[in-house]
Amino acid sequence: MRWLRKSTRSSAEPMSAAATVSGIGWPRLGKALPGAVWASLLLTPAFVSLASVSFYPIVNGLYLSLTNTSLITQENEFSGFSNYVQLWGDAQFWNAWWHTMWFTAASTILETVIGLGMALILCEAFKGRGLVRAAMLVPWAMPTVVTSKMFGWLFDGQNGIINYILLHAGLIDRNINWYGSPDTAMTTIIIADVWKTTPFMALLLLTGLQTVPNSLIEAARMDGAKGWITFWHIRLPLLMPTLLIAGLFRALDAFRVFDLVYVLTGGGPADSTETLSTLSYKVLFSTLQFGYGSAVSTAMFVTEGMIALAFCLYLIRQIRRAQ
Amino acid sequence: MTDMKKGPVSGSKPVAHVTVADRRQFLIGSAGLLGAATLSLGTGLGVRRARAQSRAEISFASAAFFGKETFGDLIKAFNESQDRVLVKNIELPPPSSSTEVYQGLVQQLARRTGTPDVFSQDVIWIAGFAAAGWALPLDEFFPADKRGAYFTGTLNACTYGGKLTALPWFMDSGMFYYRKDVLEKHGGKVPDNWADMATIAAAAQKAGDVDFGYLWQGKQAEVLVCDAVEIITSNNGAILAPDGKSSLINQKAAVEAIQFLHDTIAKTKISPQDVLSWDEEPSRQPFTSGKAMFMRNWSYVYPIAQDAKASQVVDKVGVAPLPAFPGGKSAATLGGYQLGVNANSKQREAAIELLTWLSSTETQQRIALNFGLAPTRSALFQDEKIKSEQPFMASLEKVFTGATARPITPEYAKVTLALQSGISKALVSGNVQAEMDALAAQINQIVG
Repeated sequence: MRWLRKSTRSSAEPMSAAATVSGIGWPRLGKALPGAVWASLLLTPAFVSLASVSFYPIVNGLYLSLTNTSLITQENEFSGFSNYVQLWGDAQFWNAWWHTMWFTAASTILETVIGLGMALILCEAFKGRGLVRAAMLVPWAMPTVVTSKMFGWLFDGQNGIINYILLHAGLIDRNINWYGSPDTAMTTIIIADVWKTTPFMALLLLTGLQTVPNSLIEAARMDGAKGWITFWHIRLPLLMPTLLIAGLFRALDAFRVFDLVYVLTGGGPADSTETLSTLSYKVLFSTLQFGYGSAVSTAMFVTEGMIALAFCLYLIRQIRRAQ
Repeated sequence: MTDMKKGPVSGSKPVAHVTVADRRQFLIGSAGLLGAATLSLGTGLGVRRARAQSRAEISFASAAFFGKETFGDLIKAFNESQDRVLVKNIELPPPSSSTEVYQGLVQQLARRTGTPDVFSQDVIWIAGFAAAGWALPLDEFFPADKRGAYFTGTLNACTYGGKLTALPWFMDSGMFYYRKDVLEKHGGKVPDNWADMATIAAAAQKAGDVDFGYLWQGKQAEVLVCDAVEIITSNNGAILAPDGKSSLINQKAAVEAIQFLHDTIAKTKISPQDVLSWDEEPSRQPFTSGKAMFMRNWSYVYPIAQDAKASQVVDKVGVAPLPAFPGGKSAATLGGYQLGVNANSKQREAAIELLTWLSSTETQQRIALNFGLAPTRSALFQDEKIKSEQPFMASLEKVFTGATARPITPEYAKVTLALQSGISKALVSGNVQAEMDALAAQINQIVG
């Protein structure tokens, strides 16, 4: 220590020369710094890059939501919580909020249930399983815009194949205009989302199922448990943490739904498919009200936080109970 | 400095901004001059360099249109045609991504740096740019007696607060497409009022000549506002009061018009319920495949209808002004891009020179021939060359004469979102008066 300080004080040049020549200068410097400082020093690059791409935008968004910033009126002043007061009384916002919650709940539940079924099938050994597992992922690998266009044609009111099939099966007596009626537009978008994302859920749950020890299932079988009992009392409880985490991922993802709505309906008819993402896009980028638009985005952020919190609390309770 | 201030002072709010910006510009400008002077002294004045320096350098930003050439070629032609001004072309996204074009322009204009010096703008942005003090009033350069060559509707759309803040460039508008062969069977006369249109459409549908009587665009999108403006104006109604400070959309004229649109689906059943989710293309397809009698759409449909590869109705399609209500006049929503000069431009004279050239008869003729975009100078519709190469365009003069601007307000972006939502609700539910009352209240809050 004393040596180091001394040499530093004397002049920098000989010290660096000594360090490079002997190679003992650096380790000594490492020891000279307390472990915590050294660790945080090494973490700095990662922290700075993360902070600049994720922390800063969030804080800046929060700040913007407290201003009346608008590119059109050229205002840019602190306005306290007036945006949030306006938001609280904005019927369009709540309309979009409920649609988004409904979309999130419906698509997450459907995808989890169907995905679980698919995972259970794919967990069994059968011929060509590898091929089926790979093929299953195709819908998920497609860009959402392509899926949207495809469903746009499938559910087309005039020439759509869905109408054709239903009509010829005698289930409907005339063509349904799926995207033109507020009663069916959201349901159709949910169906498109379920088709696209269920494989992803199935894959996540499949990995979870594979961690369930076979010995437990064999033991249950020896004791005379039938398939349903085995599933309900052994596989499902052990799968629960995976199920909840997959559900959390899916819910947070579904909450941000944008492309399906944007391509298929643009939020219509009669605002019946407006979601928070499309609404905030319109406010932010069509009307260029960055202040109010940021308030909408912040409200989304808070809602997502609450969804995540609810999932996490439930997950912790499950894990505690298991212990 | 005094000259610089003259323009933007017109707006009331942004005065403080402009003065600060002007001062900054002055500083930057003088610093630049100093730099340029040093540079030219240092490098020595070559002859070619001196010539380049003497040309005023300005920039031009526009959404990218394509045809037999691009706007880049147009600018190149201008640069070659004279040696006073050198224009740099800034290409923005294509008009189909108009939200992105809008953002790009606003971001540049809001910086008040004078770039781009000249820009083209969708008709619906003109009021907003003018109110923000970004667009230079052009009255002193193009006095009222010089404007007679342009269509009145276009000039109205280019005027904000009594000042001309944009110069007409090229236009499009809504128009009435009909099937000549089917119409022949049902009287042969193109209907000029909505009631006749509905009667003929219903008759043709009943006779089995077509599946649909009348196609329009009811998707909750900008095009719904265009359809609404046309039908409301044709009943002597309006969306905004003349002063732009209140809404007239819950008045009798407007409610009747929207009710008519609702009735085409629910009562007269001349339109399929699908129009509520259709924008331009989905409504164009059944028409060009021969399934519909009448349709409201833009001018782009005609070349497709005449293309044997894409259409089953080649030579069977006619175009006319849209019908009107009794006592009203046919109206067509105005679209297209118009020219503007940046109020903060440091090269005003050069900018005006480019503007004059772009909007001149010769350039508009070139744009009509090479891009298929219709001129805003009515005389060009009699132009022999356009008549022979673009006969359809030449026939549109009557349609364009009725071109009507969408509500002129700096808050248009908010107003149109409210209109899209409100009119869509009225069309879906059929409670037209109630929805229009709610919509009017909402718009009053935005513009009041």
